[in-house]
Amino acid sequence: MTGATQRGTALRLHRGLSRIWASDPRLRGWLTTSNNNDVGILFLIVATTFFVIGGILAMLIRAQLATPQSAFMEPQVYNQIFTMHGTVMMFLFAIPFFEAMSMLMLPGMLGTRDLAFPRLGAYGLWVYIFGGSAVIIAMLMGLAPDGGWFMYPPLSSAAFSPGIGADVWLLGITSIEVSAIATAIEVIVTVLRYRAAGMSLSRMPIFAWYILIVSVMILTAFPPMILGSLMLEVERAFDWPFFQVENGGDPLLWQHLFWLFGHPEVYIIFLPAAGMIATILPVMARTTLLGYGWVVAAAVSLAVLSFGLWVHHMFTTGIPHMGLAFFSAASTLVAVPTAVMIFSWIGTLWKGRPRMDLPMLWIMGFFATFVIGGLTGVMLAVVPFNWQVHDTHFVVAHLHYVLIGGYVFPMVAAIYYFMPLLTGRTRFFKLGEVAFWLVVPAFHVTFLAVHVAGLLGQRRRTSTYDPGQGWEVLNLVASVASFVMAIGFALIILDVAVNAFVAVRGRRNPWGAATLEWAAANPSPAYGFASIPIVSGRYPLHDDPDLAVRIARGEGYLGDASRNRRETLIVTTAQGEPSLVVVLPGNSVVPFLLAVVTSTSFLAPLFGAYLLSGLALIGVVILALIWAWGLGSRTDEGLVDAGHGAMLPLASETPDPPGWWGSLFLLLADSVHFGSLLFGYAFLWTVAPNWPPQSYLQPDFWGVSLAVGGAAALVAGPRLAVGAIRRGRAAWPGIPLGLVGACAIAAAAATIPLARAEPAGHAYDATLWLLAGHVGLHAGLTAIMLIYFAARVARGYASPARIGEARIAGLWADFTAATGLVALGAAWLPGAFA
Amino acid sequence: MIEILRLSGPMTIWVTVFSAVYALQGFTCSRHWPEDLWARPVLLAAWGVGLALQVIALMAVRRAPSRSALVQKVAMGIAVVALVAGIWTLMPVATTSVCL
Repeated sequence: MTGATQRGTALRLHRGLSRIWASDPRLRGWLTTSNNNDVGILFLIVATTFFVIGGILAMLIRAQLATPQSAFMEPQVYNQIFTMHGTVMMFLFAIPFFEAMSMLMLPGMLGTRDLAFPRLGAYGLWVYIFGGSAVIIAMLMGLAPDGGWFMYPPLSSAAFSPGIGADVWLLGITSIEVSAIATAIEVIVTVLRYRAAGMSLSRMPIFAWYILIVSVMILTAFPPMILGSLMLEVERAFDWPFFQVENGGDPLLWQHLFWLFGHPEVYIIFLPAAGMIATILPVMARTTLLGYGWVVAAAVSLAVLSFGLWVHHMFTTGIPHMGLAFFSAASTLVAVPTAVMIFSWIGTLWKGRPRMDLPMLWIMGFFATFVIGGLTGVMLAVVPFNWQVHDTHFVVAHLHYVLIGGYVFPMVAAIYYFMPLLTGRTRFFKLGEVAFWLVVPAFHVTFLAVHVAGLLGQRRRTSTYDPGQGWEVLNLVASVASFVMAIGFALIILDVAVNAFVAVRGRRNPWGAATLEWAAANPSPAYGFASIPIVSGRYPLHDDPDLAVRIARGEGYLGDASRNRRETLIVTTAQGEPSLVVVLPGNSVVPFLLAVVTSTSFLAPLFGAYLLSGLALIGVVILALIWAWGLGSRTDEGLVDAGHGAMLPLASETPDPPGWWGSLFLLLADSVHFGSLLFGYAFLWTVAPNWPPQSYLQPDFWGVSLAVGGAAALVAGPRLAVGAIRRGRAAWPGIPLGLVGACAIAAAAATIPLARAEPAGHAYDATLWLLAGHVGLHAGLTAIMLIYFAARVARGYASPARIGEARIAGLWADFTAATGLVALGAAWLPGAFA
Repeated sequence: MIEILRLSGPMTIWVTVFSAVYALQGFTCSRHWPEDLWARPVLLAAWGVGLALQVIALMAVRRAPSRSALVQKVAMGIAVVALVAGIWTLMPVATTSVCL
């Protein structure tokens, strides 16, 4: 082929794919798009907006603390401001910002055209926007929470925090956690299955490892927090006394549930930033990452170790020495895998030829800051020292060194590094360098002063202080420097915005990077890659400098737009061999509408509108069914040509389609939620004062029979249906059996509230109601799925090949049966032995 | 999926054992546990069982190697880390007071 012919081929392919993958025009396009580029950019803009809001709140805090006995803010206002600063930065900025970067970058890095569940990503975005906006609007109306970002009861209980401030936090933040879980599932399935041909696990870009680990952490860390929020909200609304000592509750349970989430949360925030460093630093050093395997091992180790640290936030609560020692030891141990990463990056610099471009400057800022934050973390892991500085500004300074040094600086580096890819432009205005030299030194001046003030005894969360304690100069210096830092951050935003819109067009891959995202056009078109790349190493653009051109010509897999639908490749998890062709859904307003009703169901209780909340929940179910109904096919297509002689089945014609994988990981989160509920129950039973209750629930014959029989039918029914469909027979005997099972186990659960009618009487009764609620909710979900599946079978959506939906329903039925038996067993066990 | 389990299994065992021993320690200090009844020996036994599980996980990773050299190396590294973490973080069952 001549060059002109090749260019013509690439252009035709580009036009065909652009038409297929295009978003809807105008405003409707923003509401219906599910493309990772659009959703990611929206996520990024909204997260940055929340960062600005959080930054303004920080400035208000520093203005208040600049002088002793300041009258700038009333204590009540100050309490709202510092609570909202922490809440906004942790929940509305940090997590969504790295999710945005993942959405934008991950498909390109992996060599796929979009994320696994594009509509789920769009849904997560809108839930986040609605939930976050509600929290901010509440603050502007003076209704913000004021109990600190960790909302400890009894301070956050209805007695000591009347009004809706705490409810805004509990409901708004929980809805945002739903968004994070949605994105995590999407990312996990994408990393495991949606990759370039030949991209085995060992050839994955290092960021993909990090974000995979972080996403699993989100699924396992957020559920305890969601449970805690549910319990506290129910306590506030209906007086179920989970945290009220006088009625068998214990406020320490909240601290356990919160920090089971809260400590891994720090690593959930740090690890994506570490992934960005491990991606950017070797490129800036013009070499490859030293110790790739060790870095992966360190990241996995760090992630899991972070789940064994939560009690180090509770060292002053009177826990026995042995418990303190467990968590002190674990807290010191995390320094080891962190150090492995740090030394890997230093070694990478050592073996390369570093250039000090702007992204690299920010990474240097990271090194200078995060290592200090890590070392003060080790100091805080030592119990006697922790006791001395607990709740002082030393802790404030430590966490800012970790979070700003370990997260914000690397993310600024990432923004500048990926700007050519996102905008297609070369940075022209050099405000970024000025901003760097304002932010990093000012940060150190601010928080070194705050460290010292903490060591001198200044308490955190107090709106003012008296003169004469040696804190005046330190606070004034910290406040002045913090304003300099704020000016620096404003310059960064200005620099990025100006360069994004008016800088000159740049060339592809200006940094000379070796990963696949730089093989796409800059900025990336909606379809990402014209054909799915074929890779043979970890650094594909170095292995094959012409790869970008060959991808554009359609010489990879699926380099053909003739089927007129959004196709991409699914590979085997370990080896990255082409396995399936998946057809991604098109534009739809359903994710937006579903987010509207989901957010309504969460936020309506703020105003006591429980009926509206219930109606919205029904809307959630209806829209979810409409969403699912639009997927799938009524005919078997058989093998399709994926290019390179590969005839592959469609993902919808396999037993484990992407939806099955998504359900599997959602059930992982659900399992942790359920496990947290059992933990809470066991905790109260073991250590809460005012136990035992006056009587325990006694198991009865009918309840136990319904539970066991129902679980058996739930397990057997969907299996019978799947087996029948596989053999080309009618699925009917299995589906009603499963439905009977769901009804039976729900009826068994219903015996609990019938026997214990007063959940507000004692924490034991309240917990029993939660256990019964878990069973009832899951039985209901399973029943809905089975009815939906029956309708799908009736309309021809199932066949021996298209068995995936039946297996998804089976997965949920199995989970309901297993957790139902455990929940009901746990409810009846104390009574059986009493 | 086997490769993911190979990579995640050993540390998952650690966090499970760690949480279980902490829970057991809480239980031995609670009203449900008879005072002075073999609390430390029970905790030591639990620690021992936990370490044995981690050794088994390490051996399993070693004896059934992955097809990928990198995955195998990483999995072995993680299994060793899990064993060291099991020894280090639960050592207090042998060295500190149980309920004080």
